[in-house]
Amino acid sequence: MSIPTAAAAEPVIRVAGLHKAYGETRAVDGVSFEVQAGTIFGLLGPNGAGKTTTVEVLEGLREPDRGEVRVLGVDAVRDPDRLKPRIGVSLQTAALYPKLTVVEVLDLFRGFYHLGGRSTDELISLMDLGEKRTTRTQNLSGGQRQRLSVALALVNDPELVFLDEPTTGMDPAARRALWDVVLGLRSAGRTVLLTTHYLEEAEVLCDRVAIMDHGHILEEGTVEELVSRRFKERAVRFDTIDGLPEERLARMPGVASVKHEDGDTLLYTRDVAGTIGAVLDAAEGLGVEPANLGVRRATLEDVFLDLTGRALRD
Amino acid sequence: MRPLLLLTVANIKSFTRDRAALFWTLAFPLIFVLLFGSIFTGGSSERSIGFADLDGTPASGQLKGAFAALWNLKIVDGTEDELLASMKKGDVVAVIIVPEGYSQTVAAKAGPANLTVYTDPSQSGADATTRQLVGFVLSAVNQAVAGVPPAVEPSFKPIQTNDLTFISYLVPSILGMSLMQVGIFASVPLVADRQKLILKRLQATPLRRWQLVGSNVLMRLLIAIVQTAIIVGVGSALYHVQVAGSWLLIGGLILLGSLAFIALGYVIASFAKTEDAANGMTSVVQFPLMFLSGTFFPIDAMPDALKTVARALPLTYLGDGLRQVMVDGTPFSPLWVCFAVLAVWLVACFGIAARFFKWQ
Repeated sequence: MSIPTAAAAEPVIRVAGLHKAYGETRAVDGVSFEVQAGTIFGLLGPNGAGKTTTVEVLEGLREPDRGEVRVLGVDAVRDPDRLKPRIGVSLQTAALYPKLTVVEVLDLFRGFYHLGGRSTDELISLMDLGEKRTTRTQNLSGGQRQRLSVALALVNDPELVFLDEPTTGMDPAARRALWDVVLGLRSAGRTVLLTTHYLEEAEVLCDRVAIMDHGHILEEGTVEELVSRRFKERAVRFDTIDGLPEERLARMPGVASVKHEDGDTLLYTRDVAGTIGAVLDAAEGLGVEPANLGVRRATLEDVFLDLTGRALRD
Repeated sequence: MRPLLLLTVANIKSFTRDRAALFWTLAFPLIFVLLFGSIFTGGSSERSIGFADLDGTPASGQLKGAFAALWNLKIVDGTEDELLASMKKGDVVAVIIVPEGYSQTVAAKAGPANLTVYTDPSQSGADATTRQLVGFVLSAVNQAVAGVPPAVEPSFKPIQTNDLTFISYLVPSILGMSLMQVGIFASVPLVADRQKLILKRLQATPLRRWQLVGSNVLMRLLIAIVQTAIIVGVGSALYHVQVAGSWLLIGGLILLGSLAFIALGYVIASFAKTEDAANGMTSVVQFPLMFLSGTFFPIDAMPDALKTVARALPLTYLGDGLRQVMVDGTPFSPLWVCFAVLAVWLVACFGIAARFFKWQ
């Protein structure tokens, strides 16, 4: 992973002090970040965190209440028409002309742009839609529709691609294939802004991530930075044991913090051996055996849980 | 221009592949024309009269021949009982009984021979016609028997009057109604596209809003032209509705009317949040327009309160204008007023839609 230094060039995206309210709701409440050219940037957060509004402002689809938004050197608020030919957008839920075939929709979208771009055949083979060329989009599966949506985002060979939950509804093989496409975009010097529910996806793809909640960016950096900033510890996890009080868990050797998630207990500890010993002792005292006991490094999932108090997929 | 045309082609493809939409916009008005056409012109005005000849002589046969020779009259033979039964069923409108000894009474000139004629006074039209027909035949028979040549004889010559037959009233009316439907139902796919984020996705491309709206309008105008061809074609081929008048005026009215109703469709789409809501609202708008705008019967025949309503509705003026320029119908308003009112509706609806329509 090579990240150009901040001073190298003007960032592809620069957002400063972005605000947008819908009535009383502050959907975006002072968001600032930068995305460098040729990188993949992940915007993570639960539903309603303000990701969609932020991305729509960047795409020139929505006017913010205030804030500076420069995308590809263009003021995305004042001059969206100069921006649109240079970006590609994949919306998560866009059903596209249900009665048209895959080829027809691709040809239609190619016609919206001036010249060049990628050929329909190239896009079809890139997104592995060859067998569905003449299928009406209403008869595509969810995953196939997502692939078409990504193909449509690439018709003009854009400098900056926005992908909103691109792998939702895909089977694991298709998901990996799409990851290769996204990594291929980066190799070709394109910039990608990705929103996703899958933290594993963000860990694999993103050079930098920002975690959003309640209209704020809570933390931003590389995945490693985010994890090591919060967790010097490893996580010991096991199925939650009833009757084992929180205070007792917190007093175990090396334990820095305790979390409960979906019937799991997570102990973040600097002393893995000591903690596991204490867990086994405590369980024996209750006459049970801890189930699914395991140790792992902290991941983005742990960061997310720690920051927002909830798992991303809820 | 290229994006506009490509999008128009895409819209047309989507439309023609949607069988339900195709049916409602093209087959539905056709069915209307065929249905009303066959009710009001189809089926002859032929009447059947039962004839029970109890005399059975050449003289009574001649009498029967005199009835049978009348225009549009069909004679059904049978016994008195049979014929009365079929009159009760409605198969014959009247029954004439020729008594036994009829020819003798006539030949002997022994006072008038008596025919029995059954009619149903509750069927006032049939009753009166039967009385007239019987009177006409019998006066001829009486003259012949008396050997007096007729003093006066009518000679009938047909001429074409300017009065609209109902079907020629109906054809331009149904055309107007269809144009209205094509226009206001622009709301439903528009709201559906917004709901499915298609509009939002298109907004993220260099496509301009005027191109998006323009392609919608172009497609709907094309449908309007096809509808006009079908309705006018069927009306003139099957029911001999003669379209006289300037095609320039007809085309101008169709264009202005279509645009006004498309704009009304955009107004509906401005306030409907879901596809179902758009469907419902469009139906709510469509029915009063259909029935209070003189589509199926002249506005002059409506009560005053409804006339006031009709005067405000745009379809009143589209239908009225089309009847004036297509079949020389009696004007409800002067033609320029029809154009002006439609133009006002167009501008007003455009303004409202421009103010309230949301793209996302």
